[in-house]
Amino acid sequence: MTRAVLALLALGVLATPATAGEREAESCLRARIWDGYNEDWAVRTATATTLAQEEYRIYLVTLYAGNEYKVMACADDKATNIDLVLHDADGNVLKSDETQNRQPELLFKPEATSTYFVVVHATALAEEGKKTGVGMAVTYR
Amino acid sequence: MRIPMLLTALVIGACSGTEPAEPAEPPKQAAPDPHKGPTTPALDELRAQAQNIALVPSPAEMQKALSSAGIEARLSEMVPDRQLKMDVPNKDQVAVRTGVVLADMLLTVRKADKDRLVAQFGQIKQGMGELGAGGDIAATIDDIVGRIQNDAVSRDELVKELDELSGAMIPEIEYEAGDWAVPLIQAGSWLEGSNLVAGALRAGGEYEAATDLLRQPAVVDYFLEYVRAEGADRAPSQVVAQLETTLNTLKEVCGRPTLGEEDVLTIQTSTASVLDLL
Repeated sequence: MTRAVLALLALGVLATPATAGEREAESCLRARIWDGYNEDWAVRTATATTLAQEEYRIYLVTLYAGNEYKVMACADDKATNIDLVLHDADGNVLKSDETQNRQPELLFKPEATSTYFVVVHATALAEEGKKTGVGMAVTYR
Repeated sequence: MRIPMLLTALVIGACSGTEPAEPAEPPKQAAPDPHKGPTTPALDELRAQAQNIALVPSPAEMQKALSSAGIEARLSEMVPDRQLKMDVPNKDQVAVRTGVVLADMLLTVRKADKDRLVAQFGQIKQGMGELGAGGDIAATIDDIVGRIQNDAVSRDELVKELDELSGAMIPEIEYEAGDWAVPLIQAGSWLEGSNLVAGALRAGGEYEAATDLLRQPAVVDYFLEYVRAEGADRAPSQVVAQLETTLNTLKEVCGRPTLGEEDVLTIQTSTASVLDLL
């Protein structure tokens, strides 16, 4: 990695007072984003949050018809199953990941430009009462 | 350093007792079945709780959408060489100008000559500084500029770094300058991108893709909500007042199910009316 990216890693840590779990999730996510560049994916947005068991975060995204999107998430080792669900603007479920792990992803090619909801669920954690750091990114090509 | 401390702690922990340690109680598993699917939020909750951080598309994504629609126009070739000053007293203007320059740079980074790129970075650095961003962004920009000047970074590599830098700057600005600046920076970038896309469609006389490329009512609503809230607290600047007028026009246009030639012209002229004020 270049020096600028190393500086950005520091920037990411300094930009918001992230938890250790969020930093671990961001690091995992950043590696996957950079891997994606080899396959022409570019990043729209990357963010991180902390979730308790069965808690979720909702993100509103605008997706263009014709572009291909990959939504991905990474969680720290406090999580055993993170799920991603994509809803249309009316709330209907369009896609959901079927995996039982902490690095899910969804591929989607919209037929119409519109807003969609991406929901990141902390479906299962390793221990009761803990929280997990989760990163989410929207990439496109 | 964390790792030596951790090793020390492990060693101390391993040697601290003389009696064999009790086997650790297995962690109490969280109750829900991990194979159970997630609960589905209702539409009202989706609307009420959604965060807008991924709502506004980037200019580079607009270019991609243009290509995906089969339109050959290169937005990069349509970007004017703007000399926007950042040392103006009105911070709203600085934020919108910074967003515009950021859009121009993201669109032209592959082909722009070194001097132009360095000048754009200089404008963004100054704009971010005026908005109260911390020294991390300035240091990162200095590092990139140094490598551009020394031909130590390829344009492909630079595209990736800018992609990430533009994403990282938003939370940094929000943290350092307050969340008021973020929508104005985003609005500057989005207006510039939309103006260029409308210009590309008009230049090619290609209006079939207009709806998919330019109709984004939720984005318009997001910016409108912000400028109306701004205006409620204090007299809006000329730029923000014009921005609100433009957004109201765009809201009306986006209320139509499909966009045609006249709508594209309206979008181009109404977005230009903000950009021309800068």
